[in-house]
Amino acid sequence: MSDVKMKFLVVDDFSTMRRIVRNLLKELGFVNVDEAEDGAVALQKLNSQHFDFVVTDWNMPNMDGMQLLQAIRSNPQLKHLPVLMITAEAKRENIIAAAQAGASGYIVKPFTAATLSEKLTKIFEKMQKAAA
Amino acid sequence: MSDFAGMEDLLQDFLVEANDLLSDVDNKLVDLERTPDDRGLLNDIFRGFHTIKGGAGFLNATELVTLCHLTENLFDRLRNGELVVTHEVMDVILSATAAVRDMFHSLERGIQPAPADAELIRHLKLAIAGTLAAEEAHAGGGNLVERVQAVGAADKVDWTALYQAITGKAPAAAKAAAPQAAAHHDDDDYTPRSPEEIMAHPFGRRVADKPGYGGPTGRREGERQRDTSIRLDTARLDQVLNLSGEIGLTKNRLTSLRSDILNGATDTETLQALDAAVSQLDLLVSDLQNAVMKTRMQPIGRLFQKYPRIARDLARGLGKDVELMLAGEETEIDKTMIEDLADPIIHLIRNAVDHGVESPEERRAAGKPEKSIVRLEARQEGDHIVLLVADDGRGMNAERLRAKALEKGLISDEEANTMDERQSFNLIFLPGFSTKAEVSDVSGRGVGMDVVKTNIQKLNGTIDIKSVQGKGTTFIISLPLTLAILPVLVVCLGDQPLAVPLSMVREILPVTAQDVQEVGGRATMVVRGEVLPVFPLSYLLGWPQERVPAYGVLMQTAELAFILAIDSFAGREDAVIKSLDDFRPKGVAGVTTLSNGQIVLILDMKELLGALGESRGVSRTIFLPKLPAAA
Repeated sequence: MSDVKMKFLVVDDFSTMRRIVRNLLKELGFVNVDEAEDGAVALQKLNSQHFDFVVTDWNMPNMDGMQLLQAIRSNPQLKHLPVLMITAEAKRENIIAAAQAGASGYIVKPFTAATLSEKLTKIFEKMQKAAA
Repeated sequence: MSDFAGMEDLLQDFLVEANDLLSDVDNKLVDLERTPDDRGLLNDIFRGFHTIKGGAGFLNATELVTLCHLTENLFDRLRNGELVVTHEVMDVILSATAAVRDMFHSLERGIQPAPADAELIRHLKLAIAGTLAAEEAHAGGGNLVERVQAVGAADKVDWTALYQAITGKAPAAAKAAAPQAAAHHDDDDYTPRSPEEIMAHPFGRRVADKPGYGGPTGRREGERQRDTSIRLDTARLDQVLNLSGEIGLTKNRLTSLRSDILNGATDTETLQALDAAVSQLDLLVSDLQNAVMKTRMQPIGRLFQKYPRIARDLARGLGKDVELMLAGEETEIDKTMIEDLADPIIHLIRNAVDHGVESPEERRAAGKPEKSIVRLEARQEGDHIVLLVADDGRGMNAERLRAKALEKGLISDEEANTMDERQSFNLIFLPGFSTKAEVSDVSGRGVGMDVVKTNIQKLNGTIDIKSVQGKGTTFIISLPLTLAILPVLVVCLGDQPLAVPLSMVREILPVTAQDVQEVGGRATMVVRGEVLPVFPLSYLLGWPQERVPAYGVLMQTAELAFILAIDSFAGREDAVIKSLDDFRPKGVAGVTTLSNGQIVLILDMKELLGALGESRGVSRTIFLPKLPAAA
């Protein structure tokens, strides 16, 4: 499942952050990465192109990560997409809200490639189990 | 040297983006003061701090994370309507924003920011707890501290449970993740610091502001290592691309004409075509130069944005009502200059608010409106940018300035008596001059105005003062459009041309042996009643004196006016400066190529004068023949 050809969509309004995530993914061997600066742009891209994985920030203008997640989960074409939420927020209610909305994982900034890899592996495992 | 080895790119990106975000936050804060319950604004500001926090985390800038985290928490409660924006809360928010900016400055220098002021952190926590006003009323009750801590404790999170909730995985993984999460949470805990520790991180004025600070001497060297990237309108880049394309086409035309001519074509038609192509190239190249120059130009509004805040904070601190009015924000100026102007303008605004504007009582007594207006204006005049900082305050008193300078021993009795109004005003630029009897917190430490002048001169600019008593004072800064092109005067020693910055040149006069007098072992010349020292350029350069100088260039630096004795001069040029990066002989600022292709050194007059040492004088016998004995 953790095919290096997987296509990632990194969603964040802060371009520095998109670059960080992109670089971390590259360190893990994932080079097929596209970016979007908010949920609305992301959703457009998701509807028009094929992606295997979404990594999204929570706090963004126009459409935030939570709304994006809800939109993905309520769209029959997209609802199986793994979505990893990235945020600087470590509050319990946020994490629970993300889990309830169907986030595949939750990661708190700042993180290292190792942490990201660990989260991704876990999500892949879960997906394989679900598929089995 | 840098705390960010290997992360420089990331740091630069972060700073460009985060600085923009913070400016945006700053503007929204000013709006927020007018409409304190605008949810949209509160949300945007919250997100600003949140985003900065997220990026700062990756840079390991713990202190910045802590500060943003607290500010963000405060905005979280404000946007949820749990708290309201009061004056006290606003002040805390503004100080926090300023502290974030200070931390950016530290990052720009490649240094991890020091912890924010403990008092600020304490106030932030009180504001979050909603007990700020109460605390201000009865200074610091013990129970309040407990309440703050209780709020902190309520925030504690059961990490194991959370990780299980979201990952559905074994506690082993959760445990591994826990230390990181706990470290993050520790940010909330305010650890008291000893006074010594707090003193070790002074808050407020930066080191570079202090007199005697060995700041940059050359124009570009020593410039803070910061923000070397630029944000550019693609239309401008397209223009550059378009022009370089057209130049390519013209070059092709010329190449084909060359082969025609080499093959013997000398008919009028060919020559006319050659003439047209060269003219075309000429036009295109100068267009391209302009277009490239434009890519360095940024609207000065980006710099102005932060000043209304600063002026407001200052005025409030001083119990004055001041509005800073901006004009000409769209005026464009070289990017490097924008950065180097930031501090001088802050000083001038401080000066206007603190010294220029009277107290409300004084203003009432003088029949003026209580609210005073300070204007910050930019405009382009020809090939110069003019910046004005004007107040409608009490104006400057020439007599008082002279008396003060005399008292401080900065000028002599004689000088004081012969000074006109303009010269008296300029006294405030002398190092160590401060007119306020009471040293205030804001300005008036006697550092600042001299630094302002030096910084403006470093940019090849000038600063002038206009003041009318009772009406107000205006500081006028005039700057060249760009630093990349320097208007120079080309002077000659023998056949050797050398360039001096035109901005320092006041006039050119003939020099004859009779005009130069020896006064106290120094060669001097009297120009319209002003006694000026004469320095032969050959002597400053340490070259042998081959001829008797025929001309003098009257030059003016910050400290001194003097006459530079030269053999002849070639005229003015717009020099495109090439710096000598690895090899920099003393007294040489750079090189340029003249229109005839000759390479010319551009002299750094300050450095050359420095070589004279304390004496600041050259005996006339060194460069002039003995005067015939008086008849």
